[in-house]
Amino acid sequence: MNPILFYLFSILMLGFGIAVVANRNPVASAMSLVVSFFCLAALYVGLDAYFLASIQVVVYAGAVMVLFLFIIMLLDLKAEQRRKFNKLAIGGGALVALAFAAQLVGVLGSHPRGDKPFPELKLPVGESLNDLQHVGETLFSLHTLPFQVIGVLILVATIGVIVISKRELK
Amino acid sequence: MQQIIPAITLEIAVLVLGLLMLFAEAFSTRADRSHMARYAIAVLLALVGFSFFTTPPPANPAAGSMWNFYAVDATAMLFKRIALATTAIVLVMALEYRSVLAKFIPGTEEGRGTGEFYCLPVFICAGLMFMASAVDFILIFVALELVTIGFYVLVAYMRKHEQSLEAGVKYLILGALSTGFLVYGVTWIFGLSGHTHLDKVKAALVAGFAAGGPLVGNEHALLFGIMLVLVALGFKIAAAPFQLWVPDVYQGAPTPVTAFLSVGSKAAGFIVLVRVLEVFLAIPAVRGKVVAALVLLAILTLLYGNLTAMPQDNLKRLFAYSSIAHAGYLLIACAALSADPAGAKEAISFYLAGYLVMTLLSFLVLITVARQSRGDDIRHFAGLGKRNPFLAFAMTVAIASLAGIPLTAGFLGKFLVFKSAVAAGQYALIGVGILGVGAGFYYYFKVIAAMYWDEPTDRTPITVGPLTRLFVGGLVALVFVLGIWPAPILNQLSERPITAVAHK
Repeated sequence: MNPILFYLFSILMLGFGIAVVANRNPVASAMSLVVSFFCLAALYVGLDAYFLASIQVVVYAGAVMVLFLFIIMLLDLKAEQRRKFNKLAIGGGALVALAFAAQLVGVLGSHPRGDKPFPELKLPVGESLNDLQHVGETLFSLHTLPFQVIGVLILVATIGVIVISKRELK
Repeated sequence: MQQIIPAITLEIAVLVLGLLMLFAEAFSTRADRSHMARYAIAVLLALVGFSFFTTPPPANPAAGSMWNFYAVDATAMLFKRIALATTAIVLVMALEYRSVLAKFIPGTEEGRGTGEFYCLPVFICAGLMFMASAVDFILIFVALELVTIGFYVLVAYMRKHEQSLEAGVKYLILGALSTGFLVYGVTWIFGLSGHTHLDKVKAALVAGFAAGGPLVGNEHALLFGIMLVLVALGFKIAAAPFQLWVPDVYQGAPTPVTAFLSVGSKAAGFIVLVRVLEVFLAIPAVRGKVVAALVLLAILTLLYGNLTAMPQDNLKRLFAYSSIAHAGYLLIACAALSADPAGAKEAISFYLAGYLVMTLLSFLVLITVARQSRGDDIRHFAGLGKRNPFLAFAMTVAIASLAGIPLTAGFLGKFLVFKSAVAAGQYALIGVGILGVGAGFYYYFKVIAAMYWDEPTDRTPITVGPLTRLFVGGLVALVFVLGIWPAPILNQLSERPITAVAHK
């Protein structure tokens, strides 16, 4: 991937990520999240992970965000815009985040492996990179057990949503 | 005896039980759902029995088979049994608690809307059992999430109760944050080793960091990953300084869920911690620093948990702080893992088994008394010795064991922990630990003193149902059995025969 494109999309993604948190208006936050998701999808494309990129757009930027917006409209969140912020909490949080960022910079600086580019993927002759097939094979053969446990996880999450949101029984 | 059932059948059976309960909840014509919980208790206890007849998976699994994610060793089987028994006892508590629960959930009739409250612990149990066997970061993560998401729902179950909702939101936000740390840490470790299976990660890292290996110079990157994983697991086991959520969540959650959290969540966190520490401690380049981090965590946790527990008046909050303190004792054993692996592992498993018994016992009594005294402050327990001597005795046994009085499971657990710390030469930790035990005597005995010496505000006797009475009696007996004759459980943990560990 062209480094310029990488930095462009990374900066856009992080900038809109900050906008999600900083925006007072929930709809603006949600729209910033959409842009952030699109930039992430662009980074996936840069890594030749086309299937992941398309899933990112269809599922996250599409389906999940539409649901988010629906819920924001239905709940009519006005309280968030009037909320006062606790300066101490913001200061403390910023301090922790800065300390974490400083650590990360330090680790990356002392990380000799990070200097080298990725080795080229060597594919068998006559085979093209089919990431859809690879994802499917990994998911349904090698990782069957975790995949099935995820099924249970989603069931539990569904029960949870119903339990917490169901209306008064008549 | 011939063993014919593969171990994973246990998890499948638990999942099927959960699904059947969901169907029963959806289609049962009876308004009262308590029969569901009774059947589930029977099935779960039967599965504990079945677990003794299971076969381990093939020794050399084919590449790509699911056994690469799933290991069955002595510790895993013990933790599976712990998960099953804990869930059964939590369901007993849920039955005892259902009249309180009914007040705070939408529903007009007694028992309506409580079905999921019996059903979710069963799914969480399956998650705990998967976690006990997980030897791959992916399965560890998925099972941990299954458990945690179930807990989010259970904590916030009492929708009309403000504290329960607040606890649910707090737990959700901090839990999600800690999950992020875990995944980010695993990413760093995967990036260095190229594997997610713990054994392969270990082999790759040990070879990579050996003199002249390809990873030399990347110690900081590995340490960064390890610290992120430790932070995430610190959240799960409630170690200081990641314990901020504990008091509010423990107090706000429905009491059976509090008990489940303090036992199930902690046991799951520690088994994962032990499994990943075995990998991290095998790498000489980072071993010293990981041990130092564990020592620091243990000292902070012990001091914070024990000192903040002292002024508490609410019993649920007191148990929350004391559960932080118990995480501290367990961390002492974790810090001793590299110097005394067998002894420390044994100490952790035994301590957790004992902690399970005494915590569940104290919560079972707490629920019964709190329901009839309408409150869970220490003053509601005043004069319990006169109102119901049986429950007062059971609570005394539980608290004596939590404090670590000889002849109880709690004493032997602490003994094994300190023994492994001596073997590892961690004398500073022993000092802080003994200080903690001393503080523990103060706040635990405050409860005993209130039960026997204070005059009750309300003299009506407290009644105990037959099922609760049976389980309270059984748990009291178990506290003493584990304290006096620990050989059966210790034998289970190691292949080598252990005789009279306590009397050496």
